[in-house]
Amino acid sequence: MYNDGRAEGPTVATERLLVPLSETVTVRQTVGYAVRSGLERTDDLECHLVVAMPSDRELPEGTSEVDEAESLLSKAESWVEEDAEGSSVTVETAVLGADEYLFGPRDFARTFASYAAAHDVDRVVLDPEYQPGSTAGIIQPLERELEAAGLAYEEAPVERPARHERLIGDGTQRFDRLFATFVISYGFYMILGDPTYWFDWVTGAAVAGIVAATLANVTFTFPLDRVQSPLRTVRFALYIPYLLYEIVKANLAISVVILRPSMPIDPKLTRVDARVRSGLPLLALANSITLTPGTLTVRADDQRLIVHSLIADAREDLFDGSLERAVRFVFHGRDSAAIATPRERDDAEIIGGEEL
Amino acid sequence: MIETIRFWAIVALVAFGLFFTFVSVVGVIRLPDVYARSHTASQTDTLGAGLTLAAVALALGWQHATVYTVLLLFFVFITNPTAAHAIARSAAESGIVPYENTVDEEGESP
Repeated sequence: MYNDGRAEGPTVATERLLVPLSETVTVRQTVGYAVRSGLERTDDLECHLVVAMPSDRELPEGTSEVDEAESLLSKAESWVEEDAEGSSVTVETAVLGADEYLFGPRDFARTFASYAAAHDVDRVVLDPEYQPGSTAGIIQPLERELEAAGLAYEEAPVERPARHERLIGDGTQRFDRLFATFVISYGFYMILGDPTYWFDWVTGAAVAGIVAATLANVTFTFPLDRVQSPLRTVRFALYIPYLLYEIVKANLAISVVILRPSMPIDPKLTRVDARVRSGLPLLALANSITLTPGTLTVRADDQRLIVHSLIADAREDLFDGSLERAVRFVFHGRDSAAIATPRERDDAEIIGGEEL
Repeated sequence: MIETIRFWAIVALVAFGLFFTFVSVVGVIRLPDVYARSHTASQTDTLGAGLTLAAVALALGWQHATVYTVLLLFFVFITNPTAAHAIARSAAESGIVPYENTVDEEGESP
């Protein structure tokens, strides 16, 4: 953090605003609105600009995020000075959540709430496109969680560029998406069709072209990376045999338990905080957990997975986090896969049925 | 010779597929509550359908239709956990408290 406090007790006239920032097209307008609306109410405005980081600073993906956060903060600081036009605006900046792993909207809301409490913040000005890290937009659930945390918030009335522009991104990104969708749908068409027949190649190209033109933005709502995305596909292909092995193993264990006359089952609900990003990685992990008999994902609202486990062996495997490591390997590479097990980092526990 | 091996491999795969489907049915009948039953119901899809489809692929031999069986398995593997999760989640939202072992270690439903 840049600093950890404000001056002594609150003065009556001071208005304190908390503005969470992220790299969006509307962040500039949000800062502008925060300053303007604040100055309308009072002469003594205190603007808290914060960047909440989804990952831990210690983790491999954390370090570059710190740099990005700090450059965004220094930019935003100069924006505030620009918009204040001589009025006295105190700017405080902070990087939040650098020493922990923020999972879903609930964690972000909690972090903002504790910052707000510590600094006596009056209200939160939200960027409608707020998007911490590279996860999907979370503004809707974040609003709900802020309300639950009892924090007054306001969405900045920004003029958004037409929505498709945001989704498409710049020229190369647009091309990458079109190209990836085209290749995938063409490939799928040729698998279903006959690759030795010229007519299928022609109709396939036409169909894939239409699919790519219409659905590329729906298929990929996240930016593709020319190196990482194909690499992820390859690593996913490596993951499938491993998953199959786990499935067969778990199937045998469950079958033995079911067929034994005494049926020694020990069903328990467990909570596991998975350290994977929401979106596709979380989906892959939750589905893999369900796919292996013996563990069943009951809830996956954010990274706090509620998993029902049928036998003690399956529970031990879950707490050892082998699937979680494998999913991290698929999406972030080998370095990220080497993390402590959920048991070691205290992210796994057996809970009662009431906590559903 | 090769044909004989293939024949018996197909029979073995179908037999194992049926076996795991059978186990799954036994599990659905024996296990105490909806959560526990979801575990074993997914066995039908994973190993039951998986082994049977492998048998189909082997029986079809090296031809284009074999690719379809692999694709079929792929979609089963995506839809199965989705359905299982939907069932478990709606059970949780209906307020069904999971069965837990109490004093009796038999595990029979009370």
